[in-house]
Amino acid sequence: MGKQKVNSVLPPGSYYFSGDEAVAEGAIAARCGYCAGYPITPATETLERLSVRFGEVGAAFMQMEDEIASICSCIGASWAGAKAMTITSGPGFSLMQEAIGYAVFTETPLVLVDAQRSGPSTGQATRVGSGDIMQAKWGSHGDYLAIALSPWSVQELYDQTINAFNLAERFRVPVFVMAEEATAHLHERIEVGAEVELFNREKKPGAPPFGTEEEDGVPPMPVFGDGEKLLITGSTHDEWGVRKITHPEIHRKLVTRLQKKILNRSQEIIQYDSHYLDDAQVAVICYGFTARSALFAVEQLRGEGKKIGVLRLKTLWPFADELIKDIGSRVGKIFVPEMNMGQVAGEVMKYAACEVVSYGQVNGEIVHPHTIIEQLRRLV
Amino acid sequence: MSQIKQALICGYGGQGIVLAGTILGQAAFNDGKWVGGTNSYGAASRGGACRSEVVISGQPIIFPYVIEVDVLIAMYQTAYDKYIGEVRREGGIVVYDDRFVTLDKVDGVRQVPVPATRTALEELKSELVPNVVMLGAVVEITGLVTKDALRSAVAETVAERLRELDLKAVEAGFRLGSGKSA
Repeated sequence: MGKQKVNSVLPPGSYYFSGDEAVAEGAIAARCGYCAGYPITPATETLERLSVRFGEVGAAFMQMEDEIASICSCIGASWAGAKAMTITSGPGFSLMQEAIGYAVFTETPLVLVDAQRSGPSTGQATRVGSGDIMQAKWGSHGDYLAIALSPWSVQELYDQTINAFNLAERFRVPVFVMAEEATAHLHERIEVGAEVELFNREKKPGAPPFGTEEEDGVPPMPVFGDGEKLLITGSTHDEWGVRKITHPEIHRKLVTRLQKKILNRSQEIIQYDSHYLDDAQVAVICYGFTARSALFAVEQLRGEGKKIGVLRLKTLWPFADELIKDIGSRVGKIFVPEMNMGQVAGEVMKYAACEVVSYGQVNGEIVHPHTIIEQLRRLV
Repeated sequence: MSQIKQALICGYGGQGIVLAGTILGQAAFNDGKWVGGTNSYGAASRGGACRSEVVISGQPIIFPYVIEVDVLIAMYQTAYDKYIGEVRREGGIVVYDDRFVTLDKVDGVRQVPVPATRTALEELKSELVPNVVMLGAVVEITGLVTKDALRSAVAETVAERLRELDLKAVEAGFRLGSGKSA
């Protein structure tokens, strides 16, 4: 259990995949045993591919009657011992929120890929958006923290899907892969290595499945059939899963531990990359597809001698607050382009001491490099 | 700029524009290139404006959408009208289906008619393959990808029941394009 290297299922080499196809192959590489979903643009192609490929690799694929049933069956599959995943877009993500809270509180590992499109509601089904970022943080009720990743390419949809399974199993938490129509439907060349590093959930026979001695611990997770006495409930529970619905200290301890098990290990979780930040007077903080437009724009402006750098967040939740605090103390301005009305810009403003300029675009189109160049020229 | 080749395929939903983009991207990949392939279409399966973009480079691509069109492949008049202005003025090329497109004269842009739909209907007796006939002609005219790479991309991409027909369509396209390269 724990970390382990296994052979890649796909033969090592180059492939020309859509982002959706790469998600499917990433799930197979991570040894996902169960996927349930309901078709929705722009995520349908992942389900189509899995419905064929899972048959070949001996995993189970189920098209459910809706998104609520999809995620609930994944929670069941996870407790039966399978690595589980569901795939959807914004409208389905909304339907799944209640079950996400249940998964968080029952510490159920699962992966949820949200191929974001322009909302709210049905919105423009075939168009791009990135409006689900705050929903990934607090879409369900109560106080909790999940993990959300933001891939920018087809390669990263493959790699981060694998990473999402590892994080889910490591921390016993739902992990969201916040894809976007622009990456889900993008076709690109990707490289697949010979080996994949996986994390398989820890088991400890006889140990309590919902509590640890540490205030930020991740308990071992038995599955049905292991012979443990197993109670699973969305009500507040003690370390053995017994309902404790009026006890203040047990509720405080549980809710706090579920946050701390992630927050206290955020350095282990948070990934980012940076470009040209050393001497930058302006930093562009970006994520997902928009980071590609931003990097393209900044490379052009660097050619004109403009001192601009790029920080790309590969992990959105937990938020890279320390990093942004540091950058905010070194640059004069931060520019945050995104395909929503400033959801991440608001978070950046919380932590950066300098001026933060939000550029939110919600017309169902990608933020073009020319737009970013035009905006940045006003700032430097 | 010359190291990156940017192609835009445009037409009407149902003409196989997205599939043509997938095949062209797969062909460039088969040539060992880095490729960015993107599409834009409406929610309906037929009708409406439809576009597929393929960016081909010898190196990894940061921004995978077309910024300036080197090769415009136009299958329908409204699509042609919409994108003709985005074609590079020096050395850009337009290949268009002569059944559905009437030309505007544009300085510095070479525009080549190809009877793709007519050939598909009359010679191959199929309304399914004008897109693939067109790709064959485009590759013969522009050298965007190698002919072998296109043949293998068609074989890898289209459904098995249509493979033989599509491979015939590629060869018909090569023939229509021959002698038309610059």
